[in-house]
Amino acid sequence: MTAISSTPRPADLAAEDAGPSRLALAALALALLLLAVAPWYIGGYWIRIAANIFMYAALAQGMNLMAGYTGYPAFGNVVFFGLGGYTTAVLMGKFGVPFAATLGASVLLCVLVVLLIGPPLLRLKGHYFAIATLGLNEAVREIISNATRLTGGGMGISLPLPPGGPAASAISFYYLFLGTAIAATFIAWQFSRRRLGIGCQAIRDNEIKAEACGLFTTRYKTTVWMLSAAITGLVGSINAYWMTYIDPSAVFDMAIAVKSFVIYLLGGAGTVLGPVGGAVFVELLATYTWSKLLNWHLGAMGLIIMLAIALFPNGLPEALQRLPGRKDVNLRLRRQPITK
Amino acid sequence: MLTLQIVLTGILLGGLYACLAIGFSIIWGVTNLINLAHGSMAILGAYVTWLIWSHTGLDPFLSIPLTAAALFAFGYALQWGVLNRIARTSLFMTLIFTFGLDMVLINVMLALSSADIRGIPLAYSSAALTIGEIRLPYTRLAVFAMALLLTYLLHLFMDHTRSGQAVRATAQNPRAAAMLGIDSNHINAMAFGIGAALAGAAGALLAVVYSFSPVTGAPLTMKAFVIVALGGLGSMRGAIFAGIALGVAENLVSGLLAPGYRDAVSFVLLILLLVLRPRGLFGDRYLFDAPAR
Repeated sequence: MTAISSTPRPADLAAEDAGPSRLALAALALALLLLAVAPWYIGGYWIRIAANIFMYAALAQGMNLMAGYTGYPAFGNVVFFGLGGYTTAVLMGKFGVPFAATLGASVLLCVLVVLLIGPPLLRLKGHYFAIATLGLNEAVREIISNATRLTGGGMGISLPLPPGGPAASAISFYYLFLGTAIAATFIAWQFSRRRLGIGCQAIRDNEIKAEACGLFTTRYKTTVWMLSAAITGLVGSINAYWMTYIDPSAVFDMAIAVKSFVIYLLGGAGTVLGPVGGAVFVELLATYTWSKLLNWHLGAMGLIIMLAIALFPNGLPEALQRLPGRKDVNLRLRRQPITK
Repeated sequence: MLTLQIVLTGILLGGLYACLAIGFSIIWGVTNLINLAHGSMAILGAYVTWLIWSHTGLDPFLSIPLTAAALFAFGYALQWGVLNRIARTSLFMTLIFTFGLDMVLINVMLALSSADIRGIPLAYSSAALTIGEIRLPYTRLAVFAMALLLTYLLHLFMDHTRSGQAVRATAQNPRAAAMLGIDSNHINAMAFGIGAALAGAAGALLAVVYSFSPVTGAPLTMKAFVIVALGGLGSMRGAIFAGIALGVAENLVSGLLAPGYRDAVSFVLLILLLVLRPRGLFGDRYLFDAPAR
């Protein structure tokens, strides 16, 4: 995990143009090598936790693309997590489609859904957009819960067991999630350097100005949401196969979306490596608190969220950088001056 | 006849929704934050009422002031101590923060009272006003009347007291209000307190006619949002009409079409509304029915 400890840089054009330095590349290669051989040296418990960390890193990258780079808080993005999970579950459980093919199907479905609802919903801003995506998630959850014949409704749906027994399959899910997290991070990195990402950052900073400069804002926003939804849907698919049983309240759970949001936020909004570092931090913290407080895990997660927002509203890296300075500085960072 | 019964029950339910939504609306209108814990705060009110009733036997209608006062103190302290500071960094953070609060509230209620579904059976619960084939339980009528009474009291407070006018002034133009010497921290805290108190009162009323458990709050938050978006932000009259409309629509869908889709009504309405009329059905902000000057 050496790559994570290097401070994530803001996706600033001048800084990104040079590309990563040779040292950073070497550190990254070493980290990947360590992660690739790790399953043979760590126990089954830690393999699961690591797989969970990669899963949330990928989800947080999906959130990062929408909220961090484009400024659209897709609060209800977990709808794609659920849709991906149900696509895999229904196709595998009811029609015997192979797992790899269901991955493609869920990505396709999520992209199509965004194509359909993206243009109208992306006209909304701020609170309204966040709540609309939340409502979308609830509406889809109700539909899945009531389409009992296809989805098993509220009773949930079972998937075939992954081949090779629990220990072997844990390792394959480790690699699947690791691959997804790396792919998502690579997408975020490329995105931040390319025309699409730069356009989205312009939209985040000033949408009216971006549009006046001739940017097709709706096209940009819809495209980035498709990317975000595809990543989230893919993760949802893998998760469903891992869990071997899903029900609507487990996969359309807003807590998943909020957790990935907090991860992206703590890692530093709009940075390539931020979500990865945030995922490591939050997941380890959550694992630790959950093992101690069985009946209070929901409240503990809520408390972590509340504390994260109250103490580090601009992310951990920024808070750490400013630590030697004035007290209470992180609460004042983005305070607007009274006169402009 | 069945349809008429469904519509009338929907109207009575709508009064409760309106009371809930007006609290949501005040918080949103004044402090500009969306309280995702609103439904859970209402359920908290239901639990407070239930606790008072099961320990002292006090009638739920009489304990509403106690419940509302408890929730007011909670809301005031929360906004004054924490939310005011977070709102200065980024408004969106408050949304996430209230979601965290929602999780904590649910967990606290689960821990203190288990996941059992509770209700408050009263001696007069089954008594009903019967006109022909239509049967309206007195408790539901009383809940409706109480919700409207609370709304009216709030209206009086907003229009005829200095504090209420300060709240309205802050909703209309926070900067100008601050320049005139209104302490915005206090007013924001007061608005959140009033919103929480109304949520608590709505929860107390809900406890009389419905059963509840710690996890029943989330759909209520959604409903409050839909009603406020439908009726116009800060409009009490709009909230009452929109609340009744939602109550009737929900009852019609669940009574005549499919019971499972009851909660889906508000989500579908929400998305349609946001897509087709992002500014609400009745145009722009209403700002607590302030007369145009």
